[in-house]
Amino acid sequence: MKLRNFLLPLVLAAMAGTAMAQSGVPTGTPAAVAAKIQLRGDANDIVIPEIRIVRRNDVMVVQADMKNTTDSNRTVFYRFRWLDSSGSQVGDGESWKQMTVLGHQIQTVKSVALHSSAVDFRIEMNVETQ
Amino acid sequence: MTQKFMIPLLLASLLLSACATGVQSPVVRFDRQVNYGDAKAVELVTNEFGSSDLQMIAEKMVGSLLETGIFQGRPTVTISTVKNKTSEYIDTTNVMNSIQTALVKSGKVRFTRAITEMQAGVDELQRQNQSGLYKSKTTAKVGQMTAAKYSMEGELTSIVKQNNSTKDVFYKFTLKLFDVEEGTIEWQDEKEIRKTSKR
Repeated sequence: MKLRNFLLPLVLAAMAGTAMAQSGVPTGTPAAVAAKIQLRGDANDIVIPEIRIVRRNDVMVVQADMKNTTDSNRTVFYRFRWLDSSGSQVGDGESWKQMTVLGHQIQTVKSVALHSSAVDFRIEMNVETQ
Repeated sequence: MTQKFMIPLLLASLLLSACATGVQSPVVRFDRQVNYGDAKAVELVTNEFGSSDLQMIAEKMVGSLLETGIFQGRPTVTISTVKNKTSEYIDTTNVMNSIQTALVKSGKVRFTRAITEMQAGVDELQRQNQSGLYKSKTTAKVGQMTAAKYSMEGELTSIVKQNNSTKDVFYKFTLKLFDVEEGTIEWQDEKEIRKTSKR
């Protein structure tokens, strides 16, 4: 009985934690785009309104717009993670990039999959306020 | 009963709030403590040419090359010169090695021995053919190497400006792909990097 009393709220809390992690997408980002974003922490007013995906010469090419919705600058750390048809990561993973997005600026980030087996991707990112 | 329920809930909430504190950015900062860090992290120790610059250049160039589709038919490529025109000592071979590694792993291109790698290849051929140690059927034949269709040439330059408080370094890496036979540039791209630091 005691164990059940302890476990139930823990499970609820874990569920709340999962929901929090899933909802950790930039506000104003479309759901289809949000599914491709792995945001660490707060988006700090960075929104991703659009992602463009094209397969060019047998490799995936992705462009994502990152929009700063505030007056102050934001520093975005990001990298693309490429996935094959089974969901496994392709290659060793990209290096992290640092990018300043000025107030109300839209910056476009682009990446090309380095192998034709990549069919999906995620953008890992976190945002620092300056 | 309510009390029994509340205590673990409170503990779980505390645990969650502890997890919800600010996350650390993937950067390498100066610290006296030694740690194994993320080799892909953004290196901000100084504004001299660093690992992040090398990785960003290689990723941009490889992505650009693959995107253009110039490697249709899996042609052969060799690496020629990589000039370092900056004031820093930079092992530019490292940049080209990263580019070559990614391209080889992509399976879209074949690399032939570069000039700097040729002597080792010649030595091995001579050892197999002239030492008398090997069965003749198993030896690699002389004169059967495949020549490169394309030659890759790179150049790294920098512009440095500084005043009492700020140092600004602008790097530009240019990579060209020449058709060896025709001598024409078939592909070219640049990667620009700006690094600014407070003094």
